[in-house]
Amino acid sequence: MARAAHPDAMKPKSPGRTRTAPPMAPGQFPFAGRYRAYTLFDWTGIIYLLLGFVALRVVWALGNGEGAWQSIQGQLENPLYLAFHILSLVSVIFVGVRFFRLFPKAQPPRIGPLKPPPGPVIQAALYAAWVGVAGGLALVLAGGIF
Amino acid sequence: MSEKKTFRITRFDPDRDEAPRTETYEIPVDPDWKVLDALNFIKDEIDGSLSHRWSCRMAVCGSCGMMVDGKPTLTCKKALSEYGSEISVEPLANFPVVRDLVVELDGFMEKFESVKPWIIRAKERAVEEGTHRQSQAELEEFKQFSMCINCMLCYSACPVVANEPEFIGPAAIALGHRYNLDSRDEGAHERNEIFRGEGSVFSCSYANECSEVCPKSVDPAAAVNQAKINAVIDWATGFVVTRGKE
Repeated sequence: MARAAHPDAMKPKSPGRTRTAPPMAPGQFPFAGRYRAYTLFDWTGIIYLLLGFVALRVVWALGNGEGAWQSIQGQLENPLYLAFHILSLVSVIFVGVRFFRLFPKAQPPRIGPLKPPPGPVIQAALYAAWVGVAGGLALVLAGGIF
Repeated sequence: MSEKKTFRITRFDPDRDEAPRTETYEIPVDPDWKVLDALNFIKDEIDGSLSHRWSCRMAVCGSCGMMVDGKPTLTCKKALSEYGSEISVEPLANFPVVRDLVVELDGFMEKFESVKPWIIRAKERAVEEGTHRQSQAELEEFKQFSMCINCMLCYSACPVVANEPEFIGPAAIALGHRYNLDSRDEGAHERNEIFRGEGSVFSCSYANECSEVCPKSVDPAAAVNQAKINAVIDWATGFVVTRGKE
């Protein structure tokens, strides 16, 4: 166990009679074993934050006239931007797949008289919605509709 | 017992040691042994001062949870043949250590008690009125969450428990949720208030590690995240529904 946990982790409200050694965090946290996927999942937040800034820049350029818009379009063709967008796509797929795997079992067995459908049905519906929304957006961006 | 294995065991004597240290024991092992058998061999034959908890030896009592090769494990459950020639045994992570491999349980028991893990009735009915009947379908709704043996492996695996001392934690929330789902219980609102309070269910970031290490397939991560939804529904319906005790 490499690093210490919070010194008060699992500490009773009143101390016992015996001196205790401080709690240690799980040795594999945060970069080894299954924790790696969880940590990566958390870190994707940084990618979405950066992606938000890029989106704001694009919207800002849109509001600043044709010249600014053409300029940002040119910048987005830079290989660094392309690499960043590929990284964003990979992280979205990673987060989506993880979320869809864990979401069904988070549904209570019953809400009033309503019971959720079986897990695989929920999962299939989530994937169908994802593909549908992504396909619809792709059509809009490609000028297929609207 | 021709094969030998090396055990790196965390030792801590509160009267003598400033901090935990590691001691190494090389012992002959039987292929059918579990990690617990090796610990008992060390205590009986080599070093009687080694302290560890155990009782049933069949993954029912939940006493012998420790970190084996860095993972929360019931030491009576997994055979030595599944490990390499060197095995590290440490006390459960995220718990204060009383001695060697024995951890402080009182904090866990306090969290357990805080979720009111018993059937709450708005009004107790008289004995002559008979028992509270429950159908098989009603039982199935919570049965999974009632299989917990309080081994605390889930607490040891949880990254939130490591960082947020107030967090009620997986097993206690799973037990509270189990009673919320019980058709005989009428205390869901009380428990949902606790779930929304200090150490709230919303601290859980759904690492899912508690469920991965659970030796009884209780799936505490499912319970915690179902409890989140129920706690929100309970809060929202509180604006339109008058509750009996209020």
